[in-house]
Amino acid sequence: MRSRLSVLAMLLVVAALVLSACAPAVAPAGAPAASDAGATVDTTAAESTGGEPIELRVAWWGSQNRHDRTIAVIQQFEELHPDVKITYEFSSWDDYWTLLTTEAAGGNLPDVMQQDYARLEEWVSRGLLSPMDEYAADGTLNLADVSESALSGGRLDGKLYGVNLGTNSMVVVIDADKLAEAGLEAPALDWTFADLEALATALHEKLGIWGFSGGLSNEQLWKNLFLSQGEWVYNEDGTALGYENDQSLIDYMTMVKRMQDAGVTMTREQEIAETGSSVEQNKIVTGEAAMTYIWSNQIVAVATAAGEGRNFILVPMPRPEGGASANYLKPSQFFSITSQAKHPKEAAMFIDFFTNSVDANKVLMAERGVPVSSVVRDALGPLLDVPQKQMFDYIGEVEPTVSKLPPPDVAGHANLITNVYWPVVWDPFLFGQQSAEEAASALREQGNAVLAESAQ
Amino acid sequence: MTEAVPTVVSQAVPAKGRGHKQKSKRRRNDNVMGYLFISPWLIAFLAFTLIPIIASFVLAFTNYDVLNPTWKWVGLQNFERMFTADPRYIKSVKATFYYVFAAIPLRLAFALAVAMLLNTPRRMVSSYRAAYYAPSIVGGSVAVAVMWRQIFGTDGLINAILGTNVAWLGNPNTAIWTLIILAVWQFGSPMLIFLAGLKQIPREFYEAAGIDGANGWQQFWHITLPLLTPIIFFNLVMQLISGFMVFTQAFIITGGAPLDTTLFYALYLYQRAFVSLQMGYASAMAWILLAIVAIMTALVFRSSSYWVFYGSQEE
Repeated sequence: MRSRLSVLAMLLVVAALVLSACAPAVAPAGAPAASDAGATVDTTAAESTGGEPIELRVAWWGSQNRHDRTIAVIQQFEELHPDVKITYEFSSWDDYWTLLTTEAAGGNLPDVMQQDYARLEEWVSRGLLSPMDEYAADGTLNLADVSESALSGGRLDGKLYGVNLGTNSMVVVIDADKLAEAGLEAPALDWTFADLEALATALHEKLGIWGFSGGLSNEQLWKNLFLSQGEWVYNEDGTALGYENDQSLIDYMTMVKRMQDAGVTMTREQEIAETGSSVEQNKIVTGEAAMTYIWSNQIVAVATAAGEGRNFILVPMPRPEGGASANYLKPSQFFSITSQAKHPKEAAMFIDFFTNSVDANKVLMAERGVPVSSVVRDALGPLLDVPQKQMFDYIGEVEPTVSKLPPPDVAGHANLITNVYWPVVWDPFLFGQQSAEEAASALREQGNAVLAESAQ
Repeated sequence: MTEAVPTVVSQAVPAKGRGHKQKSKRRRNDNVMGYLFISPWLIAFLAFTLIPIIASFVLAFTNYDVLNPTWKWVGLQNFERMFTADPRYIKSVKATFYYVFAAIPLRLAFALAVAMLLNTPRRMVSSYRAAYYAPSIVGGSVAVAVMWRQIFGTDGLINAILGTNVAWLGNPNTAIWTLIILAVWQFGSPMLIFLAGLKQIPREFYEAAGIDGANGWQQFWHITLPLLTPIIFFNLVMQLISGFMVFTQAFIITGGAPLDTTLFYALYLYQRAFVSLQMGYASAMAWILLAIVAIMTALVFRSSSYWVFYGSQEE
């Protein structure tokens, strides 16, 4: 009998060991509701002064370059705050969201997470992020040098859920040497799709290379198209498409197909078969294309991959005839404090350091986009090399004319893109299985169904 | 459970007063200790296998979407939608069947051919065996899939050799075949099993057939193949099951494109679960996949009485 008791005791120990691993994950999920976060802060602040180092968890996605820079900044922060020990998780874009959604489901999110503009609303609507206004108010998070236009992307319903880490805008990159070789002029800042087609075709015919690399069917350009016409692809509550008239999309699709058929740009078939999707492998880098489009922060990677002696011109995205700017200033990514954070105050301190410290930003070197703090921007000015300077100048150049920042993607966006936009709309069109009219109405019909369902 | 087993055992032992009691007590302790020793496995089995299986069954009837802690019952709606309102689902089923019916017979045929080559008494044959088995060790891995993408890419090895500029991975007619070729290349494990089966066939059969004037092809057709049918049957079942679950290769090499021709079942399931975040729907899909695999396996088992030959049946 006694031995059975001891066996039972051992089993209990084993069970306790296993279950305790789950325990901290369960606790914070229900505990800190956004409204009473203040109470939680006081206790953690009291704890942090008690000498015991607290553990702050930070997560981000990105390239190796970003990982190295971010880790260096984390070390700087730890030196300044010996009572804070930071553990970090980083990964590529795809893995990041698999990881973080799993952590969210397990109630085990890090304190600080890098957030994307496209997902911010979804995460906020599910109560996974905490507003930071109180930290901005009490000075923990100093936003005095940041303009409202740079912050507005992180606000939802008037509350600040994400601090912008850098400003980006889409940009058409033109190989200046190829342009000169073909004897052509750089386009005006307000060039149209017709100009784009003409220039790309001329480059293709004169040089025998792709006039434009590819990617014209990407959903980003679909968004730009309607933004430029003063509309948006989604309606306000995300239950349906936000535009009434399909004609401009039909015209655009027809143009893309025409360019593909003429060999001016890569066909869809060739795009899919591309061996690499990273920006370093863009056809403009290898000299096989004369134009491409990227996000402005990627010009650094493109110029570095292209090597010495290459010259690029940056111009805004083309717009439909008679449209306004197809560009907007996008917050490249945010740092957000999750609602499952154990140390929200320290999290705010870390975000403040990232935003305002000149030393930290000298390490980060605008890798995430043009910094939002004007003080930091001025301090970095003299240190910039050519592509970075081009990026800063380009943002300054488009800033006065850009269209208003569109709302973040609606809850059904990812669902719409994977299940409708590519397989039902663009691919069958580009592979010649349906007309542009059929494609646009398929997007309307099935897209609306998916959006309505996801918005429930 | 812990009680029942020792009782039965102790009854088998001749009862002899105290000796019996002590023995059964020790048995019982041994059993408990045994369960204790396997408890890490038991706990992991419960936590990572049994409970997730039950959870996915429950989720299949909900609209659970990972990020949102609340969900509601939707009954059979997920299943209904799969077959009535989701054309991509039908495409994924078609693509998977196409893949399985093309890749599995080819792989088995190739594995058998290589096994027969490696069954001949030659020098270095064991190092050849190791070398030919290697692809299937690394075959399912991400690295090979990445390499495959490079090989079949527009500026990849195949185009360089053929001097062509074909978008193998982008063409709806060829994309799935790059994956089938990869599957055939990973013939290692069925090959090993075939090799073991070939070793079981008595030499005398061939000698006798040789004396009777049967040529190599006749020997293969009338001796090797019939005697190997149990092995073929086993390999077919195993490969069929793994074939339906193919994921990594398509995920990395084609991502389901072009035109969903390589959108395999498991890949679409993943997209629904982790891209669209429709975990309930994905769970329902997983259970239908289980049903499909079960039905296919049952069909193969049913058919086995017509073509599988066990030596003992003759006697």
